[in-house]
Amino acid sequence: MADFLVPKNQSLVLERFDYRLTYGKTGRAKYISHLDLMRTMQRVFKRAKIPIWYTQGFNPHAYLNFPLALSLGTDSTVEVLDVALLEEHDSDEIMTRLNACMPEGLHIYKVAKPVLKHTEIAQAEYTIKFNSNTSADEAKTRFEHFAGRDKIEIEKRTKKKGINIVDIKPHINLVSATASDNMTVIDIILPAGCQFNLNTSLVMDAFCKLESVEIDNIYTTRTKIMCKNGEDFI
Amino acid sequence: MREKIEQLLLKTQKPSRYIGGEHGSIIKDKSKIDVRFAFCFPDVYDVGMSHLGMKILYGLKNSVENYWCERVFMPEKDFEKLMRENDIPLYALESLDPLTEFDFIGFTLQYELSYTNVLAMLDLAGIPVRAKDRHDLTPIVMGGGPCACNPEPLADFFDLFILGEGEEVNLEVLSLYEKMKPNNPTKQEFLREAAKIEGVYVPAFYDVDYNTDGTVKAITPNIDSAPAKVKKRIIKDFDKVYYPDGFVVPFTSIVHDRAVVEVLRGCIRGCRFCQAGFIYRPFREKNIDTIKAETKCICEQTGYEEVSLSSLSTSDYTRINDLLESLVEYTDDERINLSLPSLRVDNFSEELLEKIKSVRKSGLTFAPEAGTQKLRNVINKNVTEDEIMHTCKMAFEGGYANVKLYFMLGLPEETMEDIEGIAKLAQDVVDLYYETPKEKRGRGIQVSISTATFVPKPFTPFEFEPQATSNEIKAKQQHLFESITSKKIKCSCHQQNVSILEAVLARGDRRLCDAIYTAWKKGCTLDGWDEHFRYDLWLEAFDECGVDISFYANRRRSYDEVLPWSHLDYLVSHEFLVRENKKAHNAETTRNCKEGCSGCGVKKECGGVYCG
Ligand code: SF4
Repeated sequence: MADFLVPKNQSLVLERFDYRLTYGKTGRAKYISHLDLMRTMQRVFKRAKIPIWYTQGFNPHAYLNFPLALSLGTDSTVEVLDVALLEEHDSDEIMTRLNACMPEGLHIYKVAKPVLKHTEIAQAEYTIKFNSNTSADEAKTRFEHFAGRDKIEIEKRTKKKGINIVDIKPHINLVSATASDNMTVIDIILPAGCQFNLNTSLVMDAFCKLESVEIDNIYTTRTKIMCKNGEDFI
Repeated sequence: MREKIEQLLLKTQKPSRYIGGEHGSIIKDKSKIDVRFAFCFPDVYDVGMSHLGMKILYGLKNSVENYWCERVFMPEKDFEKLMRENDIPLYALESLDPLTEFDFIGFTLQYELSYTNVLAMLDLAGIPVRAKDRHDLTPIVMGGGPCACNPEPLADFFDLFILGEGEEVNLEVLSLYEKMKPNNPTKQEFLREAAKIEGVYVPAFYDVDYNTDGTVKAITPNIDSAPAKVKKRIIKDFDKVYYPDGFVVPFTSIVHDRAVVEVLRGCIRGCRFCQAGFIYRPFREKNIDTIKAETKCICEQTGYEEVSLSSLSTSDYTRINDLLESLVEYTDDERINLSLPSLRVDNFSEELLEKIKSVRKSGLTFAPEAGTQKLRNVINKNVTEDEIMHTCKMAFEGGYANVKLYFMLGLPEETMEDIEGIAKLAQDVVDLYYETPKEKRGRGIQVSISTATFVPKPFTPFEFEPQATSNEIKAKQQHLFESITSKKIKCSCHQQNVSILEAVLARGDRRLCDAIYTAWKKGCTLDGWDEHFRYDLWLEAFDECGVDISFYANRRRSYDEVLPWSHLDYLVSHEFLVRENKKAHNAETTRNCKEGCSGCGVKKECGGVYCG
């Protein structure tokens, strides 16, 4: 008949212990969406029997915070997760217990107390490997040409104004472009964080369009999350 | 293969459904495996992953060290298209290996509208869909689940079916295969041996003859080792039955995204339209300690924050209050929600009621199924108007303001008065709300009526009944809409065509195999989804194959007609079903098993709590 729910007792707790986790999302796990990752991590803590602190107020929820979203399909071993716990734990113990409960492809590399604020995040570095309809060398040359253009105008959707034309050229910082094993390898730094964020897919789409390249296989890895001054965020 | 799959994932919605890797999914070393089993759910991931039976059988097979069971689902249309364009055969989520590499391909048949998906999945795997075109020993294609109680419309496509509960017989079939495999038997040799196992039905070992009027004349075994009647399997000691110590926990949210524990099997009530109420007999339950241990185990392994008790009717558990108190002790400590679907409120302790009141003020659901007491007697639905009103009163006082009422249209003996009864019942609920003191009741009363067309099913007392015709149903729907006067009552009716197709397939025979094949060839898949259901194509297929829909859907069967499933034995006797059918037409009820055994034919040895 009716679908009832017998509730848990959620009492008010004011003390919280904050931790910053560095984790990796690779292999099969790179297809977990941002929203699903939240739920997944929450369950990992539950399995590890490390209770998360709940936000207080009208609609309490587990305090888990991912300051920088990672695009679906991008590998990374430098991701950041902030969490508040109910109890103080030894960092190594948190790491060991969580890793014992992780699904394939998710892994914690470091647990520490948070130092910098999320707003400090300003840029991220990526390695992009791809095959295309031209040779690896030719694609490399074309990418260099692409990065050297005066203007790279793309359409960006915004909530307020609808479609907007933006020049992303000033934001693209090409570190290196090489060709190896029949693949073109691009190392690139792009703005990241809450103020201005540029996805690799936007850049690659613009590249394909402007340089008439068709990509077959593409593998993207985020290698660094950095502050404005170029220092590592974590 | 994995690389090829990965390159397609970003082109589809919710890609994590197609790549596996979830917590709890089981990866084994292929070189140490003797039997590989691809467990196929013929619907999309979100639906299949919610299904308890699959979780049980997945865990069961994987509990044997040298067997490896993997999961396979029907891809959405967009991904199916991508797979075909890129020559990716259907693969299992654990190893990502194509289905052709498996020893067994097992489908669970939960509803008729998934039949075309079975064909689509075999074809997408590059496996011939008809059993006669699969000459090698493997893959062996088998099916089980509730629809296996009349698997005849699928007879051409399967090598064997498993009737009844799978926890024991699945392992028996796999172990027979493991023993025979080193001697390289032919498929025929293997099936001959398999047919000796109780609960295994090999359709190719039976010949069906027809009368000139189109009805079945006889169903006879064509080899010695096949029994004249195949009996369903049943777990006699239900408390000791295998239960998984872990679930696969999906990344994306699915239909039922929570821990589930099965508390009882079978149903005492015997509602005459309900197939589950008959094919899962008798009523058996687990001990409180067992349930508690399984709850704890699953919650700890999954990390779910909600656990739900599963059964056809949880309130019929003999010691429901003790059970809940014992469970709440654990779930409260662990901050886990305990959700109780299919529960009656009236036999609760005050204290539990208090706890219930504090959450989920949104929904309250009843299934009176019929609008008047007379018609509820016909269908033996043991719900009285007083009970509904009593529960609604408590619920309104507790702040609920939304009530959903489920009904069926086209029931045997139904008249327009019964239709008016539906509207009246809904109106009474609305009135009751306004009688509730303002300070107690929630705001914005809404009563929703939802109706579905009755589909007569095999192994129920209504297996003889005609389904109401399209025009009859239309007239009844019209009358219902006209009988509703309050703006607080909303009414929605299920798609009529879906029910007609269900009625044809549910009581079909082997002559439907070609029609299903043709419908699939025309592009019918994912029929259970409104946006994909193509009744026009189904009609074309029936027409081309010379199938008369009304012969299957709208015809009354006589008590002595040979029904297409009459060689299958689901323990409930033919005499009992006839008796119940006659009582239905006299609007006489039958007591439930708890009040006293009615001699349905299930034997005491099956372990039923009340069977005498
Ligand atoms: S044998 Fe009696 S008690 Fe057992 S299921 Fe049948 S009617 Fe119910």
